[in-house]
Amino acid sequence: MSLKSQYTDLKAAFAAQDLPKTGKLLTQLKLGLIQAGLLLPQGDLNPSDLSVARDILETGAFWSIRSQDVPSFDRYFSQLQTFYTDYSNLPRSKNEFAIRGLHLIRLLTQNRIADFHTALESLPADALESPFIAHPVNLERWLMEGSYAKVWGARAEAPAAEYGYFVDSLMGTIRNEIASCEEAAYDSLPLKDASTLLFFTNQSELLVFAQKRGWLVDLSSSTITFDKKGEESTEIPKEKLIAASLMYARELEQIV
Amino acid sequence: MPADVDMKKDEEEKPKPPPTPLQEIKANVGLIERAVSSIEPRFAHRALRTMAALRKRLDDTVLRNAVEDVYPKESLAKESLLSWLPAASSQATTTTEAMEVDATKTDASAQTAEPIPEVDIYLRLLMMHFFTATSETHRKALELGHQTVEKMQALNRRSMDPIAAKVWYALERTYEVAAELADARPLFLAAQRTAALRRDDETQASLINRLLRSYLQYSLYDQADKLISKTTFPATAGNPQFARYHYYLGRIKAVQLNYSDAHANLQQAIRRAPTAKLAPGFYQAVHKLFVVVELLMGDIPDRSLFRHPVLEKALTAYFEIVKAVRTGSLSQFQTTLAKHASQFEADKTITLIVRLRQNVIKTGIRRLSLSYSRISLRDICVKLHLDSEEDAEYIVGKAIRDGVIEGRIVHSQGWMECGSQKSGYGPEVADVFSRRIGYCLELHNQSVKAMRFPLNAHRKELAAAEGAREREKELAKEIQEGELDEEDMGDGF
Repeated sequence: MSLKSQYTDLKAAFAAQDLPKTGKLLTQLKLGLIQAGLLLPQGDLNPSDLSVARDILETGAFWSIRSQDVPSFDRYFSQLQTFYTDYSNLPRSKNEFAIRGLHLIRLLTQNRIADFHTALESLPADALESPFIAHPVNLERWLMEGSYAKVWGARAEAPAAEYGYFVDSLMGTIRNEIASCEEAAYDSLPLKDASTLLFFTNQSELLVFAQKRGWLVDLSSSTITFDKKGEESTEIPKEKLIAASLMYARELEQIV
Repeated sequence: MPADVDMKKDEEEKPKPPPTPLQEIKANVGLIERAVSSIEPRFAHRALRTMAALRKRLDDTVLRNAVEDVYPKESLAKESLLSWLPAASSQATTTTEAMEVDATKTDASAQTAEPIPEVDIYLRLLMMHFFTATSETHRKALELGHQTVEKMQALNRRSMDPIAAKVWYALERTYEVAAELADARPLFLAAQRTAALRRDDETQASLINRLLRSYLQYSLYDQADKLISKTTFPATAGNPQFARYHYYLGRIKAVQLNYSDAHANLQQAIRRAPTAKLAPGFYQAVHKLFVVVELLMGDIPDRSLFRHPVLEKALTAYFEIVKAVRTGSLSQFQTTLAKHASQFEADKTITLIVRLRQNVIKTGIRRLSLSYSRISLRDICVKLHLDSEEDAEYIVGKAIRDGVIEGRIVHSQGWMECGSQKSGYGPEVADVFSRRIGYCLELHNQSVKAMRFPLNAHRKELAAAEGAREREKELAKEIQEGELDEEDMGDGF
């Protein structure tokens, strides 16, 4: 089978949401790309070949997300980066921002904020106007300042269907964030309010969550009380102070 | 541009200024020869130090005359160098003659021997700088640069390193002016590896900086970070290279949210940079970043920084941002950001400044917690221009968790109760103290490391010590003899 026909097959299979078939075709196509020297392109190559290769890899990236295979998405993304940065003379792919946005969201769900900002910095200036990029950027900003309600609200505004796959893990991250804030900021909280704050729709989910975090749930008065751990630990860090003093002594010795 | 340079030269010619560019070039050639013959790179450094001033006063007659004077009458190298320069135009001949008379007077001994390759490269370096200055000769500068680099690598002389480092800089400049910096990267990477293998520290330092600059120009922070982790910056590199390196490092760390490292690096960059008057551009660029990083760390930069004569104008936009962050007013912050957005974009600090938003909110909350013992979430929302009460609750919760404020939220009443402020004494004080001491100690250690000594100076001392020892021996002998004498005399008595 020639590459051309496989490529059209791939498009059809992906459009038909036939995930297993798409996966199989992708493997074959990647072999074909390696043989043609297009998987990791180097030097001057035919632009139309390059854009086909890019298209195949982009399909692969979307496919990995749909089949919930995040490591595979990472692989496709790093292969695509060659096309996005080193072959910037190609006409820009319409999927570029969508894929970059997905990558950003993925970094966000893993709480890799430093990588998130590094990736953001390498985007072209006009990228922020694209809804695909603006979405993760806003999410990050709200997460950092603590506007969790807005993050929750933004679930529905995802610019592409693939973004939905990351929402669950993102919500997990947010819940943990909120929970740690609540532990610090409240003495006790009524169950009902706690579930609204944590975006739980029914109480049993909340109870499971509370058990995981080790909260004291008083069912009779239906409140949660938070343990005050680490309350006013005014212990003097002796070892640290000793180490510091020894270091000063050593340095002074060197100077005098 | 050439006319401009000519005019400048004429102006300087009239009051009979100390050295003409030609004389200066020749003095430098002498210094370089001395550096090579005595294996003392500091003479070469001295010659290169005049580059910045000399660069602006070059024109093709000066270069032509310099080449004519330095080389013997018939020389292949001379021909190849002269072929780069345009033929002397009739307009310039009058000055040429005047210069030639001047030159022959000072340089009586006509050159007979071929000059050393270092001098050849130095002249090429001057020509590269001259060609880069005008846009029509860019192609020429690039070609000359490539030829020079090839020649340099074939020669592989360690005495050439200081000049080689500068040639790489000139080549980068040429690429950058032509906006083709990305194309130069493979060349630089290959050269960097070669330099590392040859233990050519100065070229290596220069090339690492070239590469970092090229990566950051295209915002490739990932690659820049990898380069840093894979290379070691030579410890013997000069201060200017270190200053640049620290600046790039600070920039990368700031993007990666590692603000304290970024802060330390930028501080080093400021300290190692030439004085503000000499290199105002670098000074301003570092301070712009420094101010933003300091804000991101939650500190407020010194007011005096913004009154510095070199910085005052360049930092006005940043000063306004500082004011907004200090007052914790989100609306003021947003208007300032919108007003100066184009400048921040040009400085490439906009993404960092956007991150300040959360700091503004935190400062706002801290101010509220200081002035109220109990405040309703609704009021917080209004005062900080937040969108909803719900948000306010989460934000306050986060602030309490992050230790920005001391307090509690009473959900049923919908208010925040602020706890008493901690007294200023505790382990944190020790931390701040040790941070400052650490800075001072590092300053001392770096200054010790930065001291440069002439390579063979200790020989003289050794010889002197040898002589002293001889004398001591003699003295000891004499004393011994003297004692004997005394004893003899004693016996006599």
